[in-house]
Amino acid sequence: MSARVVITGLGVVSPIGIGIAEFWKAALEGRSGISAITSFADFPLETYRSRVAGQVLNFNPAQYLDATRAERVDRYAQFALVASTEAVTDAGLRMDQEHPHRVAVIVGAGMGGMVMGEREITQLYQNQRPHRVHPNFIPTITLNSASGIVAMAHGAKGPNLTISTACSSSAHAIGQGLQCIRTGQADAVIVVGADASITPLVFAGFCSLRALSTTYNDAPERASRPFDRGRDGFVMGEGAGALILESLAHAKKRKARIYAEVAGYAATSEAYHMVIPREDGAEVATTIRLAMDNAGVTPAQIDYINAHATSTPIGDAVEAKAIRQVFKSRTDRIAISATKSMVGHTLGAAGSIAGAVCALSIQSGQIHPTLNYEDPDPACALAGLTRQSQRRSIKVALLNAFGFGSNNAAVVFKRFA
Amino acid sequence: MALASVAERIQISLADYLKRDRRTITPAYSLRDDLGLDSMATIELLFRIEEAFEIQIPDEDLHKLATVGDVIAYVEGKVIPAPQTSAKPATRIASTRKKSASGKKAK
Repeated sequence: MSARVVITGLGVVSPIGIGIAEFWKAALEGRSGISAITSFADFPLETYRSRVAGQVLNFNPAQYLDATRAERVDRYAQFALVASTEAVTDAGLRMDQEHPHRVAVIVGAGMGGMVMGEREITQLYQNQRPHRVHPNFIPTITLNSASGIVAMAHGAKGPNLTISTACSSSAHAIGQGLQCIRTGQADAVIVVGADASITPLVFAGFCSLRALSTTYNDAPERASRPFDRGRDGFVMGEGAGALILESLAHAKKRKARIYAEVAGYAATSEAYHMVIPREDGAEVATTIRLAMDNAGVTPAQIDYINAHATSTPIGDAVEAKAIRQVFKSRTDRIAISATKSMVGHTLGAAGSIAGAVCALSIQSGQIHPTLNYEDPDPACALAGLTRQSQRRSIKVALLNAFGFGSNNAAVVFKRFA
Repeated sequence: MALASVAERIQISLADYLKRDRRTITPAYSLRDDLGLDSMATIELLFRIEEAFEIQIPDEDLHKLATVGDVIAYVEGKVIPAPQTSAKPATRIASTRKKSASGKKAK
């Protein structure tokens, strides 16, 4: 019997709040974090098809990090540092009392250090002065820069891994954190998801993919509308989420407060298409079933689903179809919410922010609303999706996350008992 | 040399993209069902067409483009009603022709 794994700490940096308290209050109030882009306002924004995003406004790294450290890490890693520090503190995890090699760090990031990446590449190509490429360019854009920095900040010397599976990165990070503890590699894992790529090139790339919302540029708060008939693409967000996972024995030994249990996980590949999901939803349904098997729960036990729900026409329809395939007539009795309706799609951070939401929902018995679900698309009508927050006792929750590269992940959380 | 029509240029572009004989591509063909283009492939194709005709196709127009004929009519609508000085479109076409010619050579 492998170890049970619990969540003992949370942290978040999001477009609707920095810090769990601010974030969760805003989420329950249904605040939108979507606004007109200011991240690269010096660009001719009118030339971009989409001009809205979930930005972390007023993020002042100096408030959280010393200046030298802040300037050496890209924005996504700054988010990761801030979220992980909150989670470690929240968990009461005292690294001076831990065996450092028994604490792992697993970071999920889809894009990584794109702020510096874009700047340095542009300068080199324009000026052709290779000796002016910043010495910190490589350590910054290397996709594991955040996991290295998080480990250094906390003195965590166990396995240090980065998982990059696009939009499912940090759902996989939670799942691999679970496995890491189950297999005895670590007592505790600092799981983080982070991305900050509302940058001119990445944003243009997503525009060219025709993946982003373009018809709500004048009404940013309406742009992210999962499962609504008027949805027309996702809204890019940025941020970070962090969860402290621990073996139950370890958490008990140090009398830690427990938010919820991470009960199971599944990762699959559709082996189908780089950016298009299989329309019949069969692979997503399989992923959900495998995660429930892994957790030892049945479809009848799921009370809440934090849907991947990016607000793309096809993605939401496929997910709704898959949910219905798995849960059948029970579907409409399950509470569902789409966090991206408030914060946008934070890419590599999405799974970890959703994981924090699952833990908070289980602990508080409250489910945050889904914004802009005004005209339910019949192709993905879900009765459990509401525009108001709901009070609901949740024993078992499911997190869905899908990513480019034909990737699916599902994580099952349980109320700790 | 006569200038190629929009229809011909789109057919050439499609043939080049799909690596097949342009005579086998007729306007009635559905991009998806007959030519086998999934949504990503359609986006790639339209990306080429935007470049070739110096137009922009907004996301909300994508659903109008189901067949080869739809694409031709759409591009004609964007290119023809705004006749500029004859010099500019001619240069545009010349440069595109050169590009597609070299593309063929490479095959």
